Amino acid sequence: MRTIDAVRRSGIGIGPERTVRDAAALMEQSGIGSLAVVSGERLVGIVTDRDLVRRALAPGLPHDARVDAVMTMPVVTIAADADLHDAFALFRTHGIRRLAVVRDEQFVGMITVDDLLVDLAGDLADLARPVTAEILFAQRDAAVPATT
Amino acid sequence: MRASVGDRIIIRGHRVGEPDRDCEVLEVRGPDGSAPYVVRWGDSGHECLFFPGTDATVQHYEHAN
Repeated sequence: MRTIDAVRRSGIGIGPERTVRDAAALMEQSGIGSLAVVSGERLVGIVTDRDLVRRALAPGLPHDARVDAVMTMPVVTIAADADLHDAFALFRTHGIRRLAVVRDEQFVGMITVDDLLVDLAGDLADLARPVTAEILFAQRDAAVPATT
Repeated sequence: MRASVGDRIIIRGHRVGEPDRDCEVLEVRGPDGSAPYVVRWGDSGHECLFFPGTDATVQHYEHAN
């Protein structure tokens, strides 16, 4: 499975010159926890809800502080056509929860650990279904006739 | 996905009870109508860069020019 096929949501980007307040509003209204920070056509960072808490709210940055003052960089990326197992490896290696998906070095979407967990849960449920049925509704084989 | 300035993009809700959202394409940044797009959200009026995924569909409108 390609990584891009596991991306569930459209990606939202923001310019580095925009404010942390704009970033927070976009996250809230879009129901997402991270934005790609894009300058021109180049992905320069990502800003997460955690970045806003740790680097803007906690130190008391003004609401009109620029996004590039709090964003995370460099960004860990994965190619859109890369095998999904490569994404697993990157999550494991870097201890992160979001990966920027790129094609020809351009941002195309964000994949999250949550996306992968939802897919895995579905796969596990599919695998467990026949086993569960066998346990709950066991069919006993007819006894082998005795031979004399 | 291909879109033009003035088209509407609809993003379906991701959870039960979550309403669909829509935005208007203000600028096309990619070649030949491809993403990314600068959009304005219908519900909040905020503008942002939008990278459509499988949850997005575009409604094309006839343009005068």
